[in-house]
Amino acid sequence: MRRIVIPALLALAALASGIPLLAHHSFAAEFDDQKPIKMTGVITKVEWQNPHIWFYLDVKNPDGTTTNWGFAGGAPGQLMRRGITKDQLKIGETVVVEGFRSKDGSNNASGGRLTFPDGRNVLTAGSQDRVPPQTMPAKP
Amino acid sequence: MRRVSFLLTLVLACAPGAWTQKAEPAIPRTADGKPDFSGMYQWPTYLPGDERGHSNATTFDRKNFAPLKPGGEAFLEPRTGDPRHDEPRDFCMPAGFPGGILSGNAMQFFQTKNYLVMVHEFQRMTRIIPLDGRPHRKGLEPMYYGDPVGHWEGDTLVVETTNFNRWSLDDYYYTNPKEFRMHSDALRTIEKIRWKNKDTLYYDLTIDDPKIFTRAWSQEFEIKAKPEWESAGLYEYVCEENNRCPGGKCESK
Repeated sequence: MRRIVIPALLALAALASGIPLLAHHSFAAEFDDQKPIKMTGVITKVEWQNPHIWFYLDVKNPDGTTTNWGFAGGAPGQLMRRGITKDQLKIGETVVVEGFRSKDGSNNASGGRLTFPDGRNVLTAGSQDRVPPQTMPAKP
Repeated sequence: MRRVSFLLTLVLACAPGAWTQKAEPAIPRTADGKPDFSGMYQWPTYLPGDERGHSNATTFDRKNFAPLKPGGEAFLEPRTGDPRHDEPRDFCMPAGFPGGILSGNAMQFFQTKNYLVMVHEFQRMTRIIPLDGRPHRKGLEPMYYGDPVGHWEGDTLVVETTNFNRWSLDDYYYTNPKEFRMHSDALRTIEKIRWKNKDTLYYDLTIDDPKIFTRAWSQEFEIKAKPEWESAGLYEYVCEENNRCPGGKCESK
């Protein structure tokens, strides 16, 4: 029950807070909003650069191999004004990322929402990027 | 006694001035008495009560449009699937004016006697607006941000911008892909900026595009002052720094 209620409450909180559901200048060109993803992995690299931050996770596949995925967030300035700083993304830490796959089918995606091991949940999307729903099952 | 009479006269002489002071809150002013717009701001947003709130890039409302001229429909283009047409900013091309200023990022204004400089965090777009009464420059090629000049009408700053190239008008196409709005190279914009109250600017934007519309039309926005952003200031935005997936084709990691 708790597994259902908490994501539902978080989704409601996101709606109530007026978080935008529209895409902005790069999202529609780069990512497919019909292909939402949710992945758990270990942070291997962070690029705190414009026009979007990128962070990379080693994600274990069902067959035991590991794939390194890249996730794009908002611009550093947008995130810092929101209280999200580079030092919150720690190399070696396991996190859950929700977003949408890149249009080219490569191992890249938007990373609109990030959940830390302590359950803290931050919106890493650009201010107009598509915000992933929070009720998706984790894959792989 | 003479001294008391003098003081009484002085008090009476001053009192009416005190009583007739305007009830409006004081607005920031420059040394020469003009309204001072220097400071940090949110991007132009919808008016209070608009359910779209302050979160998205702001767009123009169709209900504000003037009727289209015959052939004016051409300003509404469908997306073609070619990202260089549909979203040139994804290749770090300029947002342009007025679309860029409506983008959801912080702004900082700097004002001197002769200039208002608007710096927008998105693409670090900068508009340098002369206030000294000079005319528009001549012989320029069409520009993404046009050629602005400003003048004062009382406490309202009026900025006229001309000499645009044909470019996107706003971001509405992310809401409705059937309405990809392009202004023409005949665009002329008029901005009227004044303090609405001590923490909000009134921002009225007129679109005069005689190749598209039968007459000029306007939309009113408001711009919230954000003094709490002053200490951090604007952050850098260099689009070319790490634009990893231009047009949806990601570079290798």
